[in-house]
Amino acid sequence: MELAKKLIKVAVNGESRELWIKQNITLLDLLRDYLGLTGAKLACISNSCGACTVIVDDMAVKSCSVLAMQVDGKEVFTVEGLAKGKKLHPLQQAFIEHVAFQCGFCTPGKLMSAKALLDENPNPTEEELRRDMEGNLCRCTGYKKYIEAIMDVAQHPEKYSAKEG
Amino acid sequence: MADYRVVGKGIPRKDSIEKITGQAKYTFDIVLPEMLHAKILRSLHAHAKIANIDTSEAEKLPGVKAVITGKDTWGMRFGFVDTPRYPCEQPVIAEDKVRFIGESVAAVAAVDENTANEALDLIEIEYEPIPAVFDPEEAMKEGAPQIHGEQIPAPGRKCAWQDWGVARVARSYNPVNNIGATVNLSYGDSEKGFAEAEYIREDTWVIPRTNHTAMEPHGAVASYNPLTGYLDVWLSHMGYELKRYWISKTLGIPISKIRVHKTFIGGAFGGKAQVFDHEIIASFLSRKTGKPVKLILPRDEVFTSTNNSIALKINVKKGVKKDGTIVGQHVKLISDMGAYRGSVPVCLFLCHSMRDAIYNIPNLTHDGVGAYTNKSTTMAKRGHGSQQMTTAIESQMDWIAEDLGLDPVEFRLKNLRQKGDVLPNRDTLNSYGLPDCIKKIVEASNWKEKRGKLGPGRGIGLAVSAMFNGSGYWPFTAGSIVRMNHDGTVTLYIGQAEFGQGPTTTTCQLVAEELGLNVEDVNLVDGDSELCPIDYSNWLSGGMFVSCKAGLVAAQDLRQQILKVAAEMLEEDVEDLEAMNRRVYIKTDPEEGVAFDEILRYSIQKHAGDLLMGKGFCKPVPEIEFYPSLSKGSGRWTDAYSFTASIAEVSVDAETGRTKVDHIWIGDDCGREINTAICEGQLQSQAVMGMGDALFEEVMFSEGRTINANFVDYEIPRAFDIPEITTIDASDPDPNGPFGAKEIGECARAAVIGSIVNAVYDATKVKITSLPLHPEKIFRGLKEKAKS
Repeated sequence: MELAKKLIKVAVNGESRELWIKQNITLLDLLRDYLGLTGAKLACISNSCGACTVIVDDMAVKSCSVLAMQVDGKEVFTVEGLAKGKKLHPLQQAFIEHVAFQCGFCTPGKLMSAKALLDENPNPTEEELRRDMEGNLCRCTGYKKYIEAIMDVAQHPEKYSAKEG
Repeated sequence: MADYRVVGKGIPRKDSIEKITGQAKYTFDIVLPEMLHAKILRSLHAHAKIANIDTSEAEKLPGVKAVITGKDTWGMRFGFVDTPRYPCEQPVIAEDKVRFIGESVAAVAAVDENTANEALDLIEIEYEPIPAVFDPEEAMKEGAPQIHGEQIPAPGRKCAWQDWGVARVARSYNPVNNIGATVNLSYGDSEKGFAEAEYIREDTWVIPRTNHTAMEPHGAVASYNPLTGYLDVWLSHMGYELKRYWISKTLGIPISKIRVHKTFIGGAFGGKAQVFDHEIIASFLSRKTGKPVKLILPRDEVFTSTNNSIALKINVKKGVKKDGTIVGQHVKLISDMGAYRGSVPVCLFLCHSMRDAIYNIPNLTHDGVGAYTNKSTTMAKRGHGSQQMTTAIESQMDWIAEDLGLDPVEFRLKNLRQKGDVLPNRDTLNSYGLPDCIKKIVEASNWKEKRGKLGPGRGIGLAVSAMFNGSGYWPFTAGSIVRMNHDGTVTLYIGQAEFGQGPTTTTCQLVAEELGLNVEDVNLVDGDSELCPIDYSNWLSGGMFVSCKAGLVAAQDLRQQILKVAAEMLEEDVEDLEAMNRRVYIKTDPEEGVAFDEILRYSIQKHAGDLLMGKGFCKPVPEIEFYPSLSKGSGRWTDAYSFTASIAEVSVDAETGRTKVDHIWIGDDCGREINTAICEGQLQSQAVMGMGDALFEEVMFSEGRTINANFVDYEIPRAFDIPEITTIDASDPDPNGPFGAKEIGECARAAVIGSIVNAVYDATKVKITSLPLHPEKIFRGLKEKAKS
């Protein structure tokens, strides 16, 4: 049976939106199917790979396992909101310079996990970073280069602060 | 070493911006107007007759646009191997019986995914279960359930090789005792070798299936236009020619009317090369409905219904002189193929071929057999056959060295082949960096101070591996075009499948180097079957050596055209000119020159519009007209081999049996690193993947059912697991490679697995002969050891 649609208010990448949505859709469905933001990916549907990671009110969440209704009144931040005009986010610059991705499928999720971590803890140890990123699976890179890229942003923010993409 | 400007630099990838902004569109991200969503109903029985299928209720469900079963695709067959000897036997949708849990039995296209899923629940199927067999040795016994009772090939069906002009006709036969593939090859006389030997050792290894687990699940979007008869597809793949050939062959749509569009591809590792049922089904449903159809597999279906890596039981008997000279070897392989052949006939050969370039063994016999079982098919995974054989052979090498009191490094060095050697199948080792790979990591890891001296629970181990560099496989050649643009930049057209390994970036580097340009001056059009030339792309281990090289050859052709026109303009000889920074200048007078854009303008004006366009192509082993003989292993196979040596240092917790890999050193011979950052990334990737293979990855079955078809129960390495990784370039440039380069993407994984296995033995002295090295196996081994 069809559930009645509900109105939610949500700010996505800084832009406030009011949307009538089906109550049983996930946040990932909302982003991909309603808003056309396809950066977050579906790779497991079991909350275990991190490819769908986005930020909700400063917390990294796996959007495949969050109902869209749950973000009513909240702020959602996705990979599409990372770059500002011609200016890439420091993490994006570091990922390019360190050649920190290969197939790129899970890269948006990693970037968002890393952003949430650095926003909360700008100077993580490598061990803290690796622990924190444990929920973001990667089959291509062997993890090494993107851990290095994120550590580089944490330890040398000046390298990435002023550049334009 | 030659001084290059662009080659040998770790520059950023060409696809960087798309991939770090979320703009990169993968198959899953493709949305077309009026697009339908398809789902596949999978068999829950390992072996059963289909007595009846009733789809009437599903068809009545509002929103359902098409329901298809085996009746609709009756007689269609597909497979990775389709030769006169081994005609393919897999139906697109099961017809009168199912042969594994996860096989497709029906498919639905509907307005949305939920409706499609609901419709699947309304399909009624009457199965009549029949006895199933899951173990290959059981399957080969007299009286075992016969998985293929009917004739192969289906009457009247032509195999792929016949389509491609091979005169031999596929013989029809019924498989006997489920045997679906054999390889028997030999050189010298292994029995004579064993007679000469002063020491003989025999070991049997069991290597399980693992899953490729590319992060992007398999999927397809297909859009058939009934008015034009054209089919547009977006696939997660490793090369468009093979895919569209098979869609064409099964559905009868002319190959030139099937366009594989460029998509970003979220990893492959061998697991996306062959055509799949879901790709043909999506295309079929689009043709049936006249609407675009999207069919993305959920993760569990990736495990149960696409393919896993190849499971092998490996028996190795080796004869050795007391001084360590290997005099004979006999390998016997048994493969648990699954319900259809997959790539097992190729793998059984590669198990020999991948190792043949490493050690000089004068007397060798190699026998392999693949048996049908009621499980999903098995396929190449990153170093097809190499990791299974390397695990068996390299661990045995250590045990032999121990028994004979030899140093494991010296024992290996003593038996290596040499540069310039011609292998028994007449492949020539024009480059051979393996001795250097070993020596460099032995030094870097401080091996001599560590081996056997690390103390309780710690160990260090070495293993070596090899990798071929593309092979002959008609009609797959690789082509490329490099054209001059009005502003003096160029555009490269190349059919590479970029699934993360970086061939498009590296080809741009080759082109830039050849033409004296910066990489930014090379525009890229890639991965689209209508915009790019024929290209077998990246599934037969010929990415760099074949497909990237075609790009370089096109740039060489364009360079000659540019220099010829410039010579005319400057009234100089071509030999006296050099191209650099979008201009051609006189070598002895660099101030004198003409810019590329002026050269193009002049060429168009004075040469009847000649617009300066270079063409390049490359076919591996050109003397192979159709394909090499794999079952006898008698002919040429490849033009070059890559090599890796790996050393792993581990700690094993005696209380739990758990292994922690502390450090991996990789010495790699890829001819020349074109992009150092990408090469390093490939080696780190294989180090970590190999660690998963060695320690915990295994697809587990219970009565044919996959019991760990998700990322919770099927563990892959995580960010926290990774060891220190040191990669060392020990390349020997190959005269036939682009700037000497060879393949790097697959070789190291096998050596890493072998080195971890050997390190665990060094730490525990427990001989384990099955992968993965579960803590339980080590724990039990240590207990038994303590008892004795």
